[in-house]
Amino acid sequence: MLVYTARRIAVAIPTLVAASVLVFLMVDVIGDPLADLRSMQPAPDPATIAAAEERLYLDRSIPERYWLWLTGLGGNGDIGILQGQFGPSVRGGNYVIGAELWAGLHVSVRLVSAAVLLALGLAIISGVISAMRQYSKLDYTLTFVGFLALAMPTFWLGALIREGGLWINRTTDSTFFYTIGANSARVDDMTGWQYFLDSSGHLILPTLTLMLTSYASWSRYQRTSMLEVLNSDYVRLARSKGVRYRTVVRRHALRTALIPLVSVTTVAVAGIIDGVVIIETVFQWRGLGYFFIEALTHKDSFAIMAWLMLSGFFVIICTLIADLLYGVLDPRIRYE
Amino acid sequence: MSDIKSDASNGAGSAGESVDKGQQLTQFQLVWRRFRRHRAAMFSLVVLVALTLFAFALPLVWPYDHGVYREIAGNQSPSWQHPFGTTNQGQDVFAQTMRGAQQSLKVALTVSVMATGFGALWGAIAGYHRGRIDAVMMRVTEIFLIIPLLVAVAALGGNLTGGTTWYAVALIIGLFSWASIARLVRGSVLSLREQEFIEAARASGASASWIILRHLLPNAAGPIIVAATLLIAIAVQVEAALSFLGFGIQPPDISLGKMVEGARTAAFTRPWLFYPPGLIIVAICLAINFIGDGLRDALDPRQTISRR
Amino acid sequence: MENRRKWLGAVGLGVSASLVLGACAPPGGDGSDSGNSVTWIVNQPGNGWNHNTPEGGSVYGIQFLHDVLPYTGYWGPDSEWYWNEDLIVNEPELLSEDPMSWELEIHPDAAWSDGEPIDADDFIWAWKMNSGDEDLCADNCNSRGTTLPSKFESVEGSDDGKTVTITMKEGELFPEWFVFGEDGLYPSHLVADQFDLDTPEGMLESSNWFNENQPTVSGSRYVMEEGAELDGRVIKTLNEEYWGDKPEIGEIILQVNTEEGSWVPALQNGEVQGASPATWSDDVINQLDGIEGVEYGVNPGASWEHMDVNMKHDWLSDEALRHAIFTALDVENIATRTYGDNFPDITPRTNHVFSESSPFHEDVITELGHGSGDIDAAVEILEDAGYELDGDSLTRDGEAVPPIRIGYTAGHVAREIIAELAQADLAEIGISLEIDTTNDLGGTLAEGDFDIMLYGWSTTPDFASSPEQYWHSESGSNFGHLDVEEVDEVAVKAQNTSSPEEAAEHANEAARLVAEEAYVLPLVDTPTFYFVDTNYVDNVEDNNAQSRRALWNQHEWTAVD
Repeated sequence: MLVYTARRIAVAIPTLVAASVLVFLMVDVIGDPLADLRSMQPAPDPATIAAAEERLYLDRSIPERYWLWLTGLGGNGDIGILQGQFGPSVRGGNYVIGAELWAGLHVSVRLVSAAVLLALGLAIISGVISAMRQYSKLDYTLTFVGFLALAMPTFWLGALIREGGLWINRTTDSTFFYTIGANSARVDDMTGWQYFLDSSGHLILPTLTLMLTSYASWSRYQRTSMLEVLNSDYVRLARSKGVRYRTVVRRHALRTALIPLVSVTTVAVAGIIDGVVIIETVFQWRGLGYFFIEALTHKDSFAIMAWLMLSGFFVIICTLIADLLYGVLDPRIRYE
Repeated sequence: MSDIKSDASNGAGSAGESVDKGQQLTQFQLVWRRFRRHRAAMFSLVVLVALTLFAFALPLVWPYDHGVYREIAGNQSPSWQHPFGTTNQGQDVFAQTMRGAQQSLKVALTVSVMATGFGALWGAIAGYHRGRIDAVMMRVTEIFLIIPLLVAVAALGGNLTGGTTWYAVALIIGLFSWASIARLVRGSVLSLREQEFIEAARASGASASWIILRHLLPNAAGPIIVAATLLIAIAVQVEAALSFLGFGIQPPDISLGKMVEGARTAAFTRPWLFYPPGLIIVAICLAINFIGDGLRDALDPRQTISRR
Repeated sequence: MENRRKWLGAVGLGVSASLVLGACAPPGGDGSDSGNSVTWIVNQPGNGWNHNTPEGGSVYGIQFLHDVLPYTGYWGPDSEWYWNEDLIVNEPELLSEDPMSWELEIHPDAAWSDGEPIDADDFIWAWKMNSGDEDLCADNCNSRGTTLPSKFESVEGSDDGKTVTITMKEGELFPEWFVFGEDGLYPSHLVADQFDLDTPEGMLESSNWFNENQPTVSGSRYVMEEGAELDGRVIKTLNEEYWGDKPEIGEIILQVNTEEGSWVPALQNGEVQGASPATWSDDVINQLDGIEGVEYGVNPGASWEHMDVNMKHDWLSDEALRHAIFTALDVENIATRTYGDNFPDITPRTNHVFSESSPFHEDVITELGHGSGDIDAAVEILEDAGYELDGDSLTRDGEAVPPIRIGYTAGHVAREIIAELAQADLAEIGISLEIDTTNDLGGTLAEGDFDIMLYGWSTTPDFASSPEQYWHSESGSNFGHLDVEEVDEVAVKAQNTSSPEEAAEHANEAARLVAEEAYVLPLVDTPTFYFVDTNYVDNVEDNNAQSRRALWNQHEWTAVD
């Protein structure tokens, strides 16, 4: 397994390079990052535009720029991913890509981790219950809630949850829930308890939204695969041998039934960086989703590339974890 | 691929579950009977048929289409003439909703069928063969998982806008949806291929494509159907985002997602702009998911409806 | 150029309630005890701290920096120029016209919050920064606007630096000479220690330094707290060292919020107290209706929408076709259906340079019949020029007029409405418009990849350089490639005079010529809106003549208990 892991990580490098080349080309096709500058009012001096082109290496060809981005050779010392430099941003020297990415990651992780854990736990539990009590009222209710959360556009769900928070604030005549940002303005003056209240007041509504959107589809997969397994021969065999139903479920069925969920959630967790875009927008957090959207808006190619490296890294790690987990859940799956 | 054809023409019953032609009809009837017993699925089927009629048949008799009419007054509340009111520029929202439902249904179903079909096949082949083939195929899916849809859309959209048709939109959404399904199916196949009946099929000399098509994919049908139905809900929403970016269905044409996005702040001030398309999106997604649910249950050969 | 942020639009989205509620959370909503705190929404992030650069010089950047940097004067809501009497004493006047020169007297007590006086050095830095002169500033110092300072011969200090004399180059004139220093001066002493400001490279480094570092000293009423974030929060508190009257609002928190759906809920939850966004949203305005204590208003805007024609297009190069198109468009209808709902006073714009409220405004459009929606007149123009309209199809010499593309920024609501209405109007004269949206307005315009384009220009009260930028045959922003010698001449004249009246005359002349060419059809002034929770703060007034919008008089806001 160690060998397998090592090999997978080695293979990941060309995958990342291929993806980065493709994205680099695409970003270049999107448009001229200096278009807004050129059409500013009043019109800037040509020298200003020329300086910006030079600073962003736009005066070089695409292959040159990619090579520069990769290695930093021949640049101004602010570029070269292999040297740990992310390159200059279209948004000027004030915008340090590496630092902004790191800050965004910090914010998003806070939002995502709680939501994912809760969603996963709930999805497994309700999926299993739904499968074991197929066509019961409980199954129908859980199914309906799941489908509804799934069918509603995320921003709609988020807005409803926000209204719920506001309603609680109003009826209790307090300001426990906040609707924008990750924290209030003056956290420095707060005591530990106040800070905790403030943070959770900001965190709960978006977490709930993110949790529901993920939970919805995950619980469906769990219910389905659980049903498959419960109907499979070996479970029937175990049952007919008189093994208690609960034991069968816990010891045998659940493990195999987790395989599709593992596929889906690991990909989803990696993709959740994109997924939080809407929620970060509705609740105005400054996480990775926001970082990505702003970079795309500004056609900020080096910022998009930095984001891509981070999210690509997540995708590769997560798919690797999934592949390893298959072997744990079903020992018959081997890796040579 | 010719391999598959020749196998299929062998007729049913070479290995595995033997089903001969005479039984196939009754099997269909069996599935249908099981499906009918799934009340939510049956109800959903009725809803979906109604929605389809609403989207495709009703526009034929409705006096307005989704375009701008000089004689329609802007921004009217609902009336008998315009049941869902009118937009600022003078469009009948009822006609827009019908047109939107039509376009959204076409896009969503195409994406779902295309991405699920391709992704499932891709994942099954990789999972069945394992080793080098699997490694290469999975790295390709990873590239598609890594490249963000929005970047691709922005790049292609900037150069392909203007009269974008619904199938172009469906194609690009599909292109970025199949990878996760491929991974999902591969995960299941990795486990399935080690089970006895596959061993048996292999031992009896069945070809790889036969095993994949006749045994592995049907046995992974549960997650695949779930994925296909979930994808419909996702596709409707992705399409909405794309229209806004200038790639999706372009004005004056319209989709449900575009309508909901355009009216997103109107929910409480001009609810007739928001709720009709919004609720139809929800209805489509709910109906299709319940139908998928019923289908899954009905297709599962081992399941008896009265169990527990 | 107005460019709606479509990416955010795409994913953003929110729905909110018009729940009537009595006012009720603590002011500031943030548990702050500093009293009289107001949180104000800024609807996009800034990108730099030096407003002289393109990154820092967005309206958002200027809003962040407002009243932290000392400013010489401002445009009032009435579009009149006012000097900032706390900084500039004795209203400056022109000393001479040849060469053009004037003198600014700085308030004797005016000083930065670190004790250094505000003096001529700060003006000299601002001049060099924007001089457009490679000998003064390398790479142009990355300046965004050099029109006025590039005409300066010298900026000199006397009386211990408290008097500043500005002299223009021989023969150079400019009618709006007084705007120098409008957006605020930077504390040049902070960079004088680090860089050699007498060298072009040193100037460039100082420009970058100001762009990358938030101002920590203040030369005006507020001081910016450390840790300000251009995409998050900027907190401004009273400058204890200020020499003039202190404002009543002790703390202003500028909160970046890009999602218009969240504004009203946040307002109701007491998290923000107001906004003067750069975008227009009917539904946000509708939601504000009936919320107790919330005051809101709409004003004719800081930008104007127009339709530009690409003169290089095979068919549109024909003047008669252009006249017919402009005549067939019903602009009155366009105005009503875009903004009329919440701004019933809206009227078509009838001059490219001046809005109707300007004293210089002259109607150059109506007499030509443009925007009248008069289909018969349009058909007559076409038939006179040898076109034939047969039912739905328009032909000339047997050749059918092909579909013409109409472009706008994807997701721009008002322009989508305009484009669809134009489609309906032009269908009547047999012209089929094909909508072709763009995500890269600037790029599409610059490449000339359009037939007809809908977009906006901003309207600041200073107008002198606009005609040249819009229409001069060599201007990079003359996107449709109008090339008329007479237009070039008057456009240049408009900015080469010391008299605003004379400049306006030339600008109007240019507008008239452009209208006669049927090159650009002005459509409407985009209105803007503001809202404020008067349960906490009062005396707020929007000001469309300035980038700062409603924040322009934040020092006059009053707190409500």
